[in-house]
Amino acid sequence: MLRLNGAGLTSTPALMPISDHIVAGDLLAIVGPNGAGKSTLLAMLAGLRQAELGSVELDGFPLGDWLPNELAARRAIVAQQEVPSFAWKVRDLVALGGEPSPRRLADTLEAMQLTSLAARDVTHLSGGEAQRVMIARALCQLAACSEDSERPRSGGMLLLDEPTSALDIGHQQRLMRLLLDCAHQDGLAIVCVLHDLNLAARYADRVWLLQGGERVAHGRAEEVLTAETITRVFGAELTTLRFPDGRGQALLLDR
Amino acid sequence: MSESAIVTEPGESPDGATRHRRRVLWGFALLLLVALGVAAFSGSVGLSPRLLLGELPSSLDGYVWWQLRLPRLLAAVLIGAILAASGTAMQGLFRNPLADPTLLGIASGAGLAVSVWIVLLGGAGNAWGLYGQFVAGFLGALGITVLVFALGRRAQGGGTLTALLLTGLVLNTLASAAGGLLAFIANDEQLRQLSLWGMGTLAHSLWPGVIAALLVIPPTLVLLLRSAHGLDLLQLGEFTAFGAGLDTTRLRRGVIVATALGVGLSVALAGIIGFLGLLVPHTLRLWLGPGHRLLMPASMLGGALLLVITDTLARTLASPAEIPVGLLTSLVGGTYFLWLLLRRQIH
Repeated sequence: MLRLNGAGLTSTPALMPISDHIVAGDLLAIVGPNGAGKSTLLAMLAGLRQAELGSVELDGFPLGDWLPNELAARRAIVAQQEVPSFAWKVRDLVALGGEPSPRRLADTLEAMQLTSLAARDVTHLSGGEAQRVMIARALCQLAACSEDSERPRSGGMLLLDEPTSALDIGHQQRLMRLLLDCAHQDGLAIVCVLHDLNLAARYADRVWLLQGGERVAHGRAEEVLTAETITRVFGAELTTLRFPDGRGQALLLDR
Repeated sequence: MSESAIVTEPGESPDGATRHRRRVLWGFALLLLVALGVAAFSGSVGLSPRLLLGELPSSLDGYVWWQLRLPRLLAAVLIGAILAASGTAMQGLFRNPLADPTLLGIASGAGLAVSVWIVLLGGAGNAWGLYGQFVAGFLGALGITVLVFALGRRAQGGGTLTALLLTGLVLNTLASAAGGLLAFIANDEQLRQLSLWGMGTLAHSLWPGVIAALLVIPPTLVLLLRSAHGLDLLQLGEFTAFGAGLDTTRLRRGVIVATALGVGLSVALAGIIGFLGLLVPHTLRLWLGPGHRLLMPASMLGGALLLVITDTLARTLASPAEIPVGLLTSLVGGTYFLWLLLRRQIH
């Protein structure tokens, strides 16, 4: 479990203190307008930027006290679009940092629909394919450290920065379903910066809404992502529509 | 290589990858031994292979072997290995296939110090000339690296690789300019010595320098071998690599310290041997893939092999005169690179 005790940042880009906790089994979406501090918050949750106010604790210990490789066994990061400059093969890149068993590797490639690309050079992939490769890699990293090395470690954490930005809607759905499975079945804590509010509304268990370096709303998706709040924070006018299955509401831009 | 055609591809299974790795490295080691064997017996004074059978060498042969050829071969192996390995490490660290070991100004720092020694301190022609040149070159290389590090930390975006790169670029230019200024006021003899140094040659591989290389270079090679996994992770981008357990600061420090010591010593001993640190990793990466756990040791062996071969050519092509080996590596490397570029354009 990741606990934030009034954790914030004072140096630019700054972040107002947040006290909350992120538990295993939940998919948390971080949303907000451009420049709201979403990626900065993610960097603080990852331990890349040390909290300058308060503290961030993983399983009871401040992030800064963990050794990098111990931390790597518990949480993996999918950063925004970074394609390696060298010609790695997809399967070699996915195996980096986790050294997965051949079966685990094959399963993960399958789950991310990368099997047919396994021998492909990563510098020749499309943006969406590259994104899936990086996500597959992170899943392998988390699996490598669990007792049963075929599944991701329960209680592990996956931090993703806009993982759907380059994906078509078919792959968006598959990824979000996979992330939900990872949270609900494997017991991972998933923290996902999302640009698309509809994805957050449909899939996230909880939503944090950021504006100008401050968390201005948090809670269940339908509590946070109301037409009123979104208009206030994003300056967009929209209509909400309840999904027929009763799980959350869709957000439709007004003309 | 097409991406789908090969069924039993190396690296398909962890086992296969290990076997492939071992085969490549043994292949290189074998080639290196053969090249050393040939190199040992060719030169202005041809040594007879019967030396190996324990035949007592004439006093001249013995002198040539013990005082000239053996230290020179050792220097070629060590310098070739560290230049290529540092090139691999720098390219990996900066995630750029155009990086080379002298990216952060090692060569121009050493060059400036050597110029100071030769031009201002009267190091040309006096009895201490050559040793002074070694020491000055080494100190210059280390000095500029320390400076790049210290200033890079304070520069805008302090501590990032970009800040380091920019600081290196600026100091590189400043040191070259200062060196140029010294060359401008130098007399003819000093100028000749300076320009010979700049061309790079192993002709001054005497025991004191080679012993220094034997003490300094192997540990730096070990340090670079140990950074291979970290360099692999770094290819994921700094944030993701951090998430995968990489201590970027430590990796960067290790690579730069190893490069400064190893390449600094090479430059001090042999001047600037161009293109080797760029060419070897680049070529091997095309052939063996970008994984540093194979690429790093392969670069070491490949760099040693290439320098032993080119230095032997440098000694023998115009025998008894010598071509500076740095000219040969630049000539061969440049031509090959051009060919590579054009060939890839066509495909």
